[in-house]
Amino acid sequence: MSDVDTSSKWRNPVFLWGAKGAVEELPTNPFRSHQEIWRKTRESKTELFPVGRLRYYYKWPGHGGATWNRLRYWPTRRRVIRVRGEYNPKTLRREKTIVDKRPIWWLLGLLVLAMGPLCTPLGVQNTLLTAASTFAIYASISLCWMLIIGTAGIFTLASYAVVGTAAFCTAYLSISFGVPWWLLPPIGAAAGLIFGGIIALPATRLDGFYYALLTLGLNELCRVYFTTSPIFGAANGGLFGASTFIPDSASQFGRLLTSYYACFALLLLALLFYRQVNGRRLGRILRMAPEKREAFAEAVGVNYRSARIRVFVLSSIGLGFIGGFYTANFGGVAFSLFNFDTVLLGLGMLVIGGIGRAEGAVIGTFIVVFFDKFLITLGPLRLILIGLIMLFVSLYLRNGLFGIKAQFRNWRDKKKSERRSTRAEKGGEMLPEEATETLDKDIVYMRRFDKMQRDYLKTLVSPEVIAEHQGSPQGQHSEALQRLLIYFRGRPQIDKYAITCVEVNKAYRIVALSGHRGVPPRLVEDKIYPTPKDAFHGVFVRRVQDLLES
Amino acid sequence: MDLWFVISNAIVLACIYGTLAIGVSITWSSLGLLNLAYGFIFTLAGYGAWLVSEHVSDWGPVLLAAGILVGALGGIMVCAFAFIPTHDKPNFTIRGMIATLAISLLGTQALLWWFGPRAKTLPGIFGDWKVSLSGMVLGADKIGNVLTSVVMLVAVLRWMQSSRRGLEIRAMMMNPHAASIVGIGVRRTSFYVMAITGSLAGLAAVLLSQTYYISPFGGLTPMIKGVSIALCGGLGSVRGAVIAAMVLGLNESLTTVTIGGRYVLITQFVFIIAILLVRPRGIAGILDKAREA
Repeated sequence: MSDVDTSSKWRNPVFLWGAKGAVEELPTNPFRSHQEIWRKTRESKTELFPVGRLRYYYKWPGHGGATWNRLRYWPTRRRVIRVRGEYNPKTLRREKTIVDKRPIWWLLGLLVLAMGPLCTPLGVQNTLLTAASTFAIYASISLCWMLIIGTAGIFTLASYAVVGTAAFCTAYLSISFGVPWWLLPPIGAAAGLIFGGIIALPATRLDGFYYALLTLGLNELCRVYFTTSPIFGAANGGLFGASTFIPDSASQFGRLLTSYYACFALLLLALLFYRQVNGRRLGRILRMAPEKREAFAEAVGVNYRSARIRVFVLSSIGLGFIGGFYTANFGGVAFSLFNFDTVLLGLGMLVIGGIGRAEGAVIGTFIVVFFDKFLITLGPLRLILIGLIMLFVSLYLRNGLFGIKAQFRNWRDKKKSERRSTRAEKGGEMLPEEATETLDKDIVYMRRFDKMQRDYLKTLVSPEVIAEHQGSPQGQHSEALQRLLIYFRGRPQIDKYAITCVEVNKAYRIVALSGHRGVPPRLVEDKIYPTPKDAFHGVFVRRVQDLLES
Repeated sequence: MDLWFVISNAIVLACIYGTLAIGVSITWSSLGLLNLAYGFIFTLAGYGAWLVSEHVSDWGPVLLAAGILVGALGGIMVCAFAFIPTHDKPNFTIRGMIATLAISLLGTQALLWWFGPRAKTLPGIFGDWKVSLSGMVLGADKIGNVLTSVVMLVAVLRWMQSSRRGLEIRAMMMNPHAASIVGIGVRRTSFYVMAITGSLAGLAAVLLSQTYYISPFGGLTPMIKGVSIALCGGLGSVRGAVIAAMVLGLNESLTTVTIGGRYVLITQFVFIIAILLVRPRGIAGILDKAREA
């Protein structure tokens, strides 16, 4: 385009007719196409990298006649796996995408846990099986605790106190009155109900951290009470010798295996319990009333207080059940269940995995128990490691390990928008935020066009053009000057420059129009121009200056 | 005689627990941070004083100064690791609390690793003289404890009321957002606050070293007492903390005398729960104005 006319001379076409004061040839700018700016504005400046934000999902084929078959949890209409079906517009075939793969992961994980003991190496079998039973019990406790903290939003630290109290009560009953092992978990559940009911009382009035502090104290209270009272075995560090379901006659491996599978069954029960509470009516009610939005939930008729207390009491029953099971499994209970470190590790399990998710509770428990029980040779160092992980998670992760994905996406989107805002240039154009709030969308396009026009006109301003205007402000002009003048003349009335005559043929001044009827123009400068020609040029120079500054 | 014993014990306990409770209370109300590493700071200061008594000198004032300094250091450490990185992030209150809990776990295990599980004792700080007052015998320990903690508390409270830094801290307590708008640096002020509260814990550690020996987990009970007194008095209120400390100190010494030391925590918590059921934000707390972190 630019090679159409590269000469920097303008020949005056009216010179041949002998116009007054016309010059034959004048220096001017070389030709520049106005379309360059248009093309530059329209082209995408985004750097394109080979990897985009494509999310890769495996597309399963549709099954023809079985397209509408669904696997559901009987007797509900809930589907086991959330599958999205769609027709591929290119191949015109039916495709299925598994949107939520968590059930598959759960199934695989539980299968590994169920099959695990059959394929452990012989050397570490005992350590592994013991650690795995501990893991299953602690994971069940974590799940119940997660219901209280995550679902009900009550920040309690007394969960281990409930478990411990139930365990000690059942152990005491079993030792003193010979209660059989199968009665211990239900009795524990009853103890949990009573204890949970008592500590739920302040939860109705206190909120958040006041309750956390109170329960921290309650835990300490239980510890001191049980460790100092002689009937609960103050002398020998706990109560031992309760009846247990593990047969005495079996080999050590057989006993460990029985214990492991019993604990695994408890874990399955706890998972079912978590799902029943969190995934059904109570959980949904409480998801409606998250922290700081209780007022809204209350306004739409959700009784979140009673829901919270119900979840709390239900979880306490669960915790008591686990306490009774604990006694029946180990044949007794030690005071270490009440230690502050136990509570801290338990909280660590929840925090590391991510609060509010069942998988968070289980994986967090797995990590903590792995450090605590499997690396036991490290001594206090292993707890220091757990503390470091916990500190890291609380400082840098928004919601534990399982919140990393969402946090990463947020961070990426933030960075993206930051980069986008550095790319965007504003020269009278509307920003996207402004544009959405403008009713008249023509204004958006008008501003955009105006910006492009100004960008182009700026390139036309040169000393030659100004000199040409100074020579003859009116009459025939070169293309560049004519374009500038047409643009200037077409500007709106508000603050448009005009010339006022102070004294005919002697004094002229530049004023700016107000643009409103009845409001006089304002003076722009004090300079007096002797002739109208000079005044015209003065106005032109001012307009050029305003153009270059915009 | 018995009555005087109860009252003097109550006063001594009230002074020491009050020191702890005011520390917890100030931290919560100015920074919005529940410092559950307070027990760790307490233990750390105890060990610091013990090291000084082993290697430098076992003169009382030196030990007190060492405890206060190490406590302040511990406070600054907790601030740097728990408050500074989390204070501007979402969910700060929970994350800050968990971070302090993690520091407490980490720190106590490190102390256990380094010093071993055996408890250490400090030499008597105030000597072993006695004063007889109309049939009541007051040991040096009691008088010293009361005097030191009262002097320290009064000094801290005077400093908070009359100095520029204290003004900043009080502004943060009233409204942290507005304080940051008028140019009070949250981070800088947090270091002052944590140093001050840490030094209060350090002082209490040295004073209490006669009752609770210095051991890695020894800070837990005093922290829980301090926290529950702060809770009972109303978090953020110094006056409430003082009242609660007196009431609970009286309760503790009365329980010990009448039904036995085992039941101290039980009566204390029954008492606290009863108070909190009537006034959910503590004795001096304002009912409907929670701190917005």
